[in-house]
Amino acid sequence: MMSIEIEAWVRMAAFVGAGFSMGFGAIGAAIGEGFAAAKANNAISQNPTYSGDIVKMMLVGQAIAETAAIFALVIGVLLLFATGGNASMITAAGLFGAGLSMGLGAIGSGVGSGFPAGEACDGLARQPALSRTLTTTMLIGSAVSQTPAIFSMVIAFMLMFINFSGGSPHMVAALLGSGLCMGFGAIGSGIGSGFPAGQACVGLARQPAMGSRLTTNMLIGAAVSQTPAIFAMVVSFMLMFISFAGTPVHPTSAALLGAGLATGLAAIGSGVGSGLAAGAGVEGWARQPMATGNVLVIMLVGQAVSQTPSIFGLLISFILIFKGYPSTEVFIVSTALVSAGLCTGLGGIGSGVGNGQVAQTAVSWVGRNVEQEALLMRTMLVGQAVSQSTAIYAMVISLALIFLV
Amino acid sequence: MEPHEQIRQTQKKYCSIAMLAAISVALILIFAGYKPLGKGLVLGTVFSSLNFILMGETLPRRISGSRRRASVVSGVSIFIRYALLAAPLILAIKSPSFNLAATVVGLFMIQIMILATQGIYASTRKNLDY
Repeated sequence: MMSIEIEAWVRMAAFVGAGFSMGFGAIGAAIGEGFAAAKANNAISQNPTYSGDIVKMMLVGQAIAETAAIFALVIGVLLLFATGGNASMITAAGLFGAGLSMGLGAIGSGVGSGFPAGEACDGLARQPALSRTLTTTMLIGSAVSQTPAIFSMVIAFMLMFINFSGGSPHMVAALLGSGLCMGFGAIGSGIGSGFPAGQACVGLARQPAMGSRLTTNMLIGAAVSQTPAIFAMVVSFMLMFISFAGTPVHPTSAALLGAGLATGLAAIGSGVGSGLAAGAGVEGWARQPMATGNVLVIMLVGQAVSQTPSIFGLLISFILIFKGYPSTEVFIVSTALVSAGLCTGLGGIGSGVGNGQVAQTAVSWVGRNVEQEALLMRTMLVGQAVSQSTAIYAMVISLALIFLV
Repeated sequence: MEPHEQIRQTQKKYCSIAMLAAISVALILIFAGYKPLGKGLVLGTVFSSLNFILMGETLPRRISGSRRRASVVSGVSIFIRYALLAAPLILAIKSPSFNLAATVVGLFMIQIMILATQGIYASTRKNLDY
C-alpha cells in the first residue's frame, strides 16, 4: 500500500515537472520570437525593397531562438514517460526538480536569443549588403545566448537519470533546491547574453569595419554575463553530490532548499545587469573604435560590480550548506532558513539590475566622450555602491535569520 | 525576390542539407550495426524539417493582418508545431527500434545545420562582404 502511494507521488512529480518544463519553457522563446518579428516589421517598413531578405533573416533567427523551448519540450516528454526507477520521495523530488530546472532555465535563453535576431533584421534594412556577415553575427550571438539553457538541461538530465534514491532523506530538499537554483540562475544570464549579441548586430550595421572586434567583445561580454549561471550550476552540483548523511534532517533540509533559492534568485539580477553593461560595451566599440580599450575596462569593472549580488547569494548558500545545525523539529527554525535564502535571493534581483543600469550608461558615455572616462568610472562606482546597499540589507537579514533564530 | 519565395528557398536549403546529413550519418550507423541510432536520427530530422517548414508557412499570417489575428495564428502555430515535435519523442520512447538520444539530436538538426553552414562560411570567407 505504501509503495503504491510512493509510486503515485513519483508519477505526480513527473507530470507536474513536465508541465512546468514546457509551460515555463515556452514563455521565453515566444517573447524572443515576438521581438524578432516586431523588429522585422519595423525593418520592412523602413526598407520594403529587401523585405524578402529581412523575412528570411527573421525565420532563421526565430528557428535558433526556439531551441530553448525544444530543450524544454524534450525534457517535458521524457518526464511524461519517466518510470522513476526505484520509487521514492527522492526520485519524485529529482523529477520535479528536473522540470523546474529546464522550464525556468529556458526562459532567459529564449528571450535573449530574440535580441540578435531582431536587431539583425533592423541592421539588414540599414545595410542590405551585409546580409551574410549579419547572419553570422546573429547566429553566434543566439547560440551563445542558449548556453544557460544548456546548463539547465544538463542539470535536468542529471536529476532525471542519476539514481539518488539510496541517499539520505535530505536529498528530497537538496534535489528540489538544485533544480530551482539552476532554473532561476539561468534566467538572468540568458537574457543578459542577448544584450551584447543584439548590440553586435546593431554595431555591425553602423560600423561594418569593426565586425570581428564587435564579435570578440560580444563574446567577452556574454561570457561574463553567464558567470551568475555558472555560480548557480556550482551550487546545483554541490546540492546533488555533497553527502549530508549524519546531519539532522530537520532543519538541514530547509537550509538546503534555502541555499538553492539564494544563489538562483540572486543570479537573475546579476545576469541581466552584466548583460546591460556588456551591451553598452559593444555599442561603445561600434560608436568609438579608437576607445576600445577604455570601453572594455569600464565594461568589465561595471560587470564585475553587477555580479556582487549573485556573490552575496553564493555566500549565503555556502553558509546554509556548510553550517551545522542542531536537530530540531521546531518548524520556525526551518522556516527561518528557507526565508534566509529567499531574502538574499529576492533582495539581489533589483540590485543586480540597478547596478547594470548604472554601468550601462557609464560605458555608453565613455564610448561617446572618452576624455571623461575617469569621472564616469568614479560616478559609476559610487552609483553602484549605493544601489548595492539594498542587497546588503537583504544579506544582513539573511545572516540574522541563520545565526539568531 | 518575393518574401514568400525567399522563405521557400531558405526552407529548401536547410531542410535538404539537414536531411542529406542525417541520411548520410544514418547509413553509416546502420552499416556499422547501430540501426536504432540511424533510424532515430532520421526520424528526428524529418520532424525537425516539418517544424521548420510549418514555421515558414505560417510566417506571412503571423506578421500580417490585425494584432489579434497574428497572436491567435502564432499561438495555434506554436501549439501544433510543438505537438508535432513531441510525436517522434513519444515514438522513440515507446519503440525500441528508434534510439531516443539520436531522435533528440535529429530534432535539432535544422539548428545544427544553420549554425554549421554559417560557421563554414565565416571560417572560409576572406573579407567582410561590404
